[in-house]
Amino acid sequence: MGNIKQKDLILYSGLIILGLAAPYLFSAFKVQLTYLCVLIVLAMTWNLQGGEMGYNSFGNILFYGLGMYLTASVQVGMFFPLAEWTESGGEKTFVHTTAQYFQGIGVGLLVSAIVPAIVAGAIGYAILGLRGHYFAICTLGLGIAAGEIAGGIEIIGAGQGFTTPPFPAEIVDVEARGKFFYFLSFALLIGTFVFVKYIYGSRFRLILNAIRDNEDKAEAMGIQTMKYKIVGWMVSAFFCGLAGGIMGGLIGYIDSTDVAFDGREMGVFMVLMAILGGKGTLWGPVIGATLFHFFKEGLWTLILGWQYVALGVLIVVIVVYFPEGLMGWLREKYPERFGEVIDDKDRKAQVELK
Amino acid sequence: MNKLVKIFTIFISAIALTIASISSSFAKVEGEYIVLGSAISLTGKYSSNGVHTQNGYNMAVERINKMGGVKVGGKSYKFEIIYYDDESNPKRAAQLAERLIKQDGVHYMLGPYSSGLTKAIAPVTEKYKIPMVEANGASRSLFTKGYKYLFAVLSPANQYLEVAIDLAVEKNGGKPVKIAQAFEQDAFSQDVRLGILDAAKRTGSEIIIDDKLPKELNDMAATLAKVKATKPDVLVVSGHTKGALTAIRQISEMKVDVPMLAMTHCDAAKLSKQHGKKSEYALCASQWHKNLSYKDKFFGSGKKYDKDFKKEFGYAPPYQSAESSAALLVFKDAFERANSFDRDKVRDALKTTEMQTFYGNIKFGPGGQNVAKPMILFQVRCKGDTCENKVVAPTKWASDKFYHPIPKWSERS
Repeated sequence: MGNIKQKDLILYSGLIILGLAAPYLFSAFKVQLTYLCVLIVLAMTWNLQGGEMGYNSFGNILFYGLGMYLTASVQVGMFFPLAEWTESGGEKTFVHTTAQYFQGIGVGLLVSAIVPAIVAGAIGYAILGLRGHYFAICTLGLGIAAGEIAGGIEIIGAGQGFTTPPFPAEIVDVEARGKFFYFLSFALLIGTFVFVKYIYGSRFRLILNAIRDNEDKAEAMGIQTMKYKIVGWMVSAFFCGLAGGIMGGLIGYIDSTDVAFDGREMGVFMVLMAILGGKGTLWGPVIGATLFHFFKEGLWTLILGWQYVALGVLIVVIVVYFPEGLMGWLREKYPERFGEVIDDKDRKAQVELK
Repeated sequence: MNKLVKIFTIFISAIALTIASISSSFAKVEGEYIVLGSAISLTGKYSSNGVHTQNGYNMAVERINKMGGVKVGGKSYKFEIIYYDDESNPKRAAQLAERLIKQDGVHYMLGPYSSGLTKAIAPVTEKYKIPMVEANGASRSLFTKGYKYLFAVLSPANQYLEVAIDLAVEKNGGKPVKIAQAFEQDAFSQDVRLGILDAAKRTGSEIIIDDKLPKELNDMAATLAKVKATKPDVLVVSGHTKGALTAIRQISEMKVDVPMLAMTHCDAAKLSKQHGKKSEYALCASQWHKNLSYKDKFFGSGKKYDKDFKKEFGYAPPYQSAESSAALLVFKDAFERANSFDRDKVRDALKTTEMQTFYGNIKFGPGGQNVAKPMILFQVRCKGDTCENKVVAPTKWASDKFYHPIPKWSERS
């Protein structure tokens, strides 16, 4: 990575230091910061499909929910009978020791990254042949179906929900849990960002863009589009699964449709955040998610009961005034800031042609 | 460039503003106020019950403040509640609980509406050792987790309709009955189902239909079609307010004849008003009814509470409101007995609560559930076009006789 510009180096190290210091500077806001990291990860991974590949997926929530259930199930199942844990009104109480808790969540997160990626591969093989609205609707169905199915599986708590293992009681520091989940999600965020940035500098991104711009032509050029679409989705699923796993542990209670396969909220938010910031850009989803989270946390409680109306207004404003998102809007206004050189004569000539 | 700078200034100041608004109040006891926190469902699928809960809380806060407040250490304090909207979503509820405790500095919590949301909040309050008195989380699994700071003024969910099965068996001459049941896929209703399963086992009854209903339910025609075909002795439905409304609407539309219909949430759904005569004979589990003979010095009797509540909010109080009001009475009592704002002392005082409120007797079991108050069953009965809920069980408070079996639709006018 010797070719990173000095300006970027300062920016990145500044952000990392800010990220590491944040839970100490804003100790009371740890949970919100953790949410922010997870939201950014979701927006960035959605952007790989929706922004770069031109496939509007509403199904990424499937991997998020899957990751959540898998992490919790592994964490419990490694040490105790899962069915007895989730059985409501079970008389027995199981307690994880400190070592068990961390071993469990470690292995759980590993599983929650790999399995969703495999599932994405399998489902992708079946449905990535669909295009446009058909793909969008189909993926929308995936999330809803997964929620209903999970709500019927007794071993993971069905409609009762699944209480994830409580943070080990031996750790007396009440801040420890918040810190643990914050740093976990921050690490995930860095990992995701580095990987997506790597993709942005690779041929892989160009192929995804080619698929977005004209899939038939891309195919005619000899690109095996199916292969790349599947790989792209698997990448998203990998990180979504991890994000879900972390959130499950943080929230402490998994409900099939309201927490895990939460298409109505998380599923919509990830699309909205990417579009708000500007899809098809590296920083767009990051900025979009940050803005959105601030908007949500700061203003929603001021308009108690009306927040969804405000959200609706926000969506309309975004779509009408910033169809390309904030990044796209800025890029159009100040192209030179984005390293685009525009020859004024050339532009005028184009305008006259129209 | 100027414009860009302007936009950035606006952006930065917006963020500054939001942070300022987030971290405004920081106190557990502020001046003469004891600050309680609560995440309530003001929007989403539980919004109507969330509002019932909030009204119950508000009514009690106003009443207690007006009648001298809470006396701790020789000084009189008033209650104040910080509310957030949890959007009927457990994820949001857990986050808001954290926010109430960490950012608003709340040291005492009131519960949210529904078992699922309580399940999401309890781990948070437990972690920070914040006493929570909740009035609307009845799921049995809440009380088997060993929570030390959770106290529920209501009876656990599995007790809701058990009595109804016993009643059906009794009406069947002590012989086992055939049960059809349909429950929403949520923590509360699934617990009600467990109660029925226990009752069925105990009485040797057979469950011939056991359906799961989706959340946000507004159609259960498939279940009712099966009921029509198999003719069970009793039909049990639970799905919060929407479940009760949907059941009555479709049973009357499809003219389903069943000798006994047992439900939950009839009064929260204002069933007797919304569906009038169509809802007649429905048997409903309830935590409270205004005709019960409990009393306290703040609200007087149930009937008085009913009257005052109607005057304040314009509708008859469902039990969700009554139990929410009771939660504040419990808090007041505990503060005064602890004579301190120390969280652990308040918790210890809560643990030894033994009192009577207009809502019923309150005494907490080892898991935090109220063990001193039985559930009651009422039946919707109509005179002309006005329908009312009449208590039919247990016999101690029964004001009317249980009408059985429900007449066929062809015989109903």
